[in-house]
Amino acid sequence: MEIYLPIAEQSMNVLVLFGLGGAAGLLAGMFGVGGGFLATPLLIFVGIPPAVAVASQANQVIANSISSLQVQWRRGNVDLRMGLVLLLGGMIGSSAGVTVFTWLKAIGQVDFVIAVMYVILLSSIGLLMAFESLGTLWKRRRNPTAPRGKLHTHYLVHRLPWKMRFYKSKLYISAFLPIGLGFAIGILSAILGVGGGFVLVPAMIYILGMPTTVVIGTSNFQILFVAANVTFLQAVTNGTVDVVLALLLILGGVVGAPVGSRIAARLPGVVLRALMAVLVLAVAAELLFELLRTPPSPYSLGPREVLQ
Amino acid sequence: MRVLLLIALTLGAPALVAPALIAPAWGQRIDQPLPAPTLGAPPDSSLPPSVPDAPVKPELIVDLSSPRVSITSAFQGESLLLFGMFDPPGEIVVVVQGPPARETVLRKERFLGLWLNTGRMRFDDVPAYYFIAASAPLQRLLARAGGGEILSLEDRLSTIRPVRYRTPAQMAEFRQGLVEVKRREDLYPANFGQVTIQAGRLFRADLPFPSRLPEGVYDVRTYLLRDGKIVTAVSRPLPVGKVGFSAELAGWASAEGPLYGLGAIVMALVLGWLGGAVVRRL
Repeated sequence: MEIYLPIAEQSMNVLVLFGLGGAAGLLAGMFGVGGGFLATPLLIFVGIPPAVAVASQANQVIANSISSLQVQWRRGNVDLRMGLVLLLGGMIGSSAGVTVFTWLKAIGQVDFVIAVMYVILLSSIGLLMAFESLGTLWKRRRNPTAPRGKLHTHYLVHRLPWKMRFYKSKLYISAFLPIGLGFAIGILSAILGVGGGFVLVPAMIYILGMPTTVVIGTSNFQILFVAANVTFLQAVTNGTVDVVLALLLILGGVVGAPVGSRIAARLPGVVLRALMAVLVLAVAAELLFELLRTPPSPYSLGPREVLQ
Repeated sequence: MRVLLLIALTLGAPALVAPALIAPAWGQRIDQPLPAPTLGAPPDSSLPPSVPDAPVKPELIVDLSSPRVSITSAFQGESLLLFGMFDPPGEIVVVVQGPPARETVLRKERFLGLWLNTGRMRFDDVPAYYFIAASAPLQRLLARAGGGEILSLEDRLSTIRPVRYRTPAQMAEFRQGLVEVKRREDLYPANFGQVTIQAGRLFRADLPFPSRLPEGVYDVRTYLLRDGKIVTAVSRPLPVGKVGFSAELAGWASAEGPLYGLGAIVMALVLGWLGGAVVRRL
């Protein structure tokens, strides 16, 4: 069953798009991340123009994060103060990101930059996760009752000025840290169409030192508004948000998410992280392969300009 | 879902009044010497007029199975039937041309082991779509017609100009690249179409349009040739455009970007919220 996507200007199989959304939702349910990092490259593989894939995926991220935020908010797992400070950086970062994106599109390098950024990002995250989960498995085998470490360690970054108290996170740190982190995630979100949860969550735990209970809720809070900002700016400046595409992805995600969380409930965390590491590395390898191999045809067309 | 559609429709109401693309039901008879289909280039006055000063013009009537190509939500490309009647004897040639535009051809080159778009050339006056069909082997017809107004794709593309000067070798490479991409998208169908003549005076041809079809007013030109000379020609515009829901959305997205963006955000919020709530009940 084919459907014509009015902004992508091509017809596409409904089930393929629904399935992609479902896969992203499955990941969201299993690992608590948005799944955009997988859905965007896959959309590009099936032939959606990268600019449309990124912008429409940002639209899908909104739906994903609101349904997760709903639960977290009710459980009181959102550090609103931290979320707002992150969001300040996120809004600046995503607005800058959309400007960079528009410029890259104009010079015809957007596909390349998206691919390279994905390869760098996914391979580093994938390797980190792989080592971490392997290390945990190894340690558990040797010493099943490892002593608990400190709540969080103190790095040089904790000496930055303009310190703020975040009661819910039990932190007293410089506001520059969350602002900077939000900024970086905002740029990623604008250029790659991801929520950025898979970077934000580890960064909040390991760099900011936030307790894990509030991490997911707070990151979802920030992602929701950043994704909305990206969707709005992409619609206004590039006109690349395809709501029909986003609708199918969202519907797929709604079905996929509960399946994912049911699977997650049955598997131990370490195994889950190892699985996710494999998946992330596989996507990175495929993208790298596309960059390295000789293309079937070196030619492509940029945007058509109809002269009046 | 229904509520959402309602919201979308109410917000998109201004876009409902889409500009009507209305074509005359019948093609216009061209009585003047035909201008070459190369838009932009002035007609060469040194060439003899292609329509001889005959007292009675041979009849050539052309129609299409549909007055337009409608890109709906279910559009997957379309084949239109062109049919008509002519006064024998003669051969029929049909040339369909999409609206001209400026195209940017990008070429990937190896840079530090990675393939990236480093070469680029822009051309003006590139037809979005180009298709020729003929009732006899086209090469033979064109050779006898002496190249004039009917241009093969190669001849048509030899008239496109790069925006900035490049060497002829570079131009030839990028022009070849342009054809490659357009062929891949079936916008320059590789094979010449067949015009079938029946009962000596009726003819028909299939015009194939792929799913990634640029919008605009296409030009469908039918020529009647006798002894390699164009005796008469009929030109009719064929509007290609989105209709219905697709048209509304696309029109809304380009005319009311901020509103469209907000609509997209609201859709995602509502669906995400409802989806989350429904799933938790299960």
